[in-house]
Amino acid sequence: MSTTVRNRRVKQDGAIRYRDRLTKNDLLEIYRRLWFARVFDETLYDMKKKGRLRRGNVYGSRGQEAIQVGTTYPLRPDDFTSPIHRDMPIFVFRGMTVEQVMCQVWGKANAPTRGKDSWSHMGDMRLGIIHSTSMLGSTIPVACGVLWAQRLDGNRDRVCVAYLGEGATATGPFHEGLNYAAVHKLPLIVVVENNQYAYSTPVELEVPTPTVADRAKGYGIPGYSIDGNDVLEVYDTMCEALEYARAGKGPVLIECKTYRLQGHADHDETRARQYRPVEEIEMWEKRDPIVRYREYLLTTGLFTEAELPEPPADIVEQIQNAVEYAIQSPDPEPHTALEDIYDESAGVSR
Amino acid sequence: MREVTFLEAIRAAIWEEMERDPNVFLIGEDIGKMGGAFGVTTGFQERFGFDRVVDAPISETAIIGVAIGAAAAGKRAIAEMQFIDFISYGFDQVVNVAATYLYRSGGQVSIPIVVRGPSGGYVGGSLYHSQQFEAWFFHVPGLKVVQPAFPDDAYGLMKASIRDNNPVIFLEHKYLYRRIKGTIPNPEADYIVKLGEARIRRPGDTLTVVTYGAMVHFALDAARMLEQEGISMEVIDLRTIKPLDMETIYNSVRKTSKVLVIYEAPRTGGVGAEISARITEECFEWLDAPVMRVAAKDSFVPFAEPLEKFVLPSVDDIVYTARQLAHY
Repeated sequence: MSTTVRNRRVKQDGAIRYRDRLTKNDLLEIYRRLWFARVFDETLYDMKKKGRLRRGNVYGSRGQEAIQVGTTYPLRPDDFTSPIHRDMPIFVFRGMTVEQVMCQVWGKANAPTRGKDSWSHMGDMRLGIIHSTSMLGSTIPVACGVLWAQRLDGNRDRVCVAYLGEGATATGPFHEGLNYAAVHKLPLIVVVENNQYAYSTPVELEVPTPTVADRAKGYGIPGYSIDGNDVLEVYDTMCEALEYARAGKGPVLIECKTYRLQGHADHDETRARQYRPVEEIEMWEKRDPIVRYREYLLTTGLFTEAELPEPPADIVEQIQNAVEYAIQSPDPEPHTALEDIYDESAGVSR
Repeated sequence: MREVTFLEAIRAAIWEEMERDPNVFLIGEDIGKMGGAFGVTTGFQERFGFDRVVDAPISETAIIGVAIGAAAAGKRAIAEMQFIDFISYGFDQVVNVAATYLYRSGGQVSIPIVVRGPSGGYVGGSLYHSQQFEAWFFHVPGLKVVQPAFPDDAYGLMKASIRDNNPVIFLEHKYLYRRIKGTIPNPEADYIVKLGEARIRRPGDTLTVVTYGAMVHFALDAARMLEQEGISMEVIDLRTIKPLDMETIYNSVRKTSKVLVIYEAPRTGGVGAEISARITEECFEWLDAPVMRVAAKDSFVPFAEPLEKFVLPSVDDIVYTARQLAHY
């Protein structure tokens, strides 16, 4: 097998354009999802500024929406994902309600974690969403285990998409997990959202190779380094990776190059403009994935300006309603802090 | 009934659980064709296949992580640490991923895994093949910690651990593997030793010894020696270190009024410190002497025989301290 790092942009001619299979409805849905992600992010920043969200951090993903949308759109309902802190919209794309996600953000009793853990540290195994922890690389081995269970059950073509920042590729569990997946040819797709900074540390102090995708060579698996702000490029790459993984050929590493336009979290906005060159931020502002996708849609001639509102009003309303729902939801009772530490139900296989 | 070694008891329990429940699988280093460094899983791969007896790379993080993920998806995993010392590599997976999973999933996802492996000293294993790590995991909510001393308990506790819905750290003292023999029930008996229940291995009324693992045997040896002096030791084998069976301990303390806690790990911050604290809180008015401890010195476990002997607790240490306590 080739261990060459593939760059779809330079070999576009030979690559299948999976995007050509997308219908007008698909194209519109992708547009709407991009906006869902954008509005979700903007709303929570706004809530934090207004003091209506008083606890916890908001980890922004403005500018990284194409990754969230492009990597999830081609998935099957029975595939697995393990989203991280800049992937909040993915929970919704994979089947959670916006209300559930907002209740999680507000730490409410009816949140998926019942107020136990914060932000993206949630999941739902019925939806194939694997719970991550703050130690981001640590979910890769867990994802391998979820896939091992599928192998034992004979479901070899269910794929797991595990998300990471470029910083987490410097952790041991990332290596151990990918190594395991490659040795056993597990259908694991690792999506590295390379937004250039791990908190304040630039990528060149996290990764010694020219691209993060170069790390794939060490595992003898395909590595892609792509424009993470081009939703259709992300989509095409993901489709190719899914075919490969479902065919039993093993894991794939996809580096989506993007940029963290905001601070590490909402508390970091001022310093994030000090530890990074402002020109760099401004340059990436111009590569807005939603603007680019909208321009593309207009050039296809399939859509009028009016069909592509910025943002779609119903999405804004949906998110606002979910926020109000969360704010009005009950807080957890204090004594529930001691629930769910042990499972003392009868120890039989489920 | 079957006559087996301590190791064979563990092996029988795992084998029978794998026959009983197709969701149970094993993962570890060299456990397949070779059958594991100590041979606990000899013959398992031929019987259960490659997917249920997984030869993993040298990757404790991956081994435990795979166990966790598979458990989250409905399996029951047994992860072998070739030596329990190596669990340090997978520490994050145990304490931050496995232990917390039920809690942070709002009660949705339990993690039925057993992380098992040989622990303990007295075999010249030196620093990284001799340690007793129970205190690390004893401190973590969400985990259970088990260390049997006899084949029947090893057999029944292993079965219970595999069937338990929580992550269990199962410490197998390598000093006992082939030295200790005993009988275990036949498979049809479906013999289980419930987690969280201590067992009085020897009744007595002068003083109570609370201990676990290889130290149970040391305590029983000391008890036989002290019997001739008229000192009658009641030896409680905890069997499960977490959760602690405090009721059995308190009942014994109320009878003897003197307690000696013995553990093989370094003295400071050990499991015995917690036991001592709880006895003082709950049974203060019954005590006729301070709760005393015999434990390893606050050192690593060194290689050379005179060094190892100096650091780890001995039968003589137990006899000496028990005498002090008896005459207090």
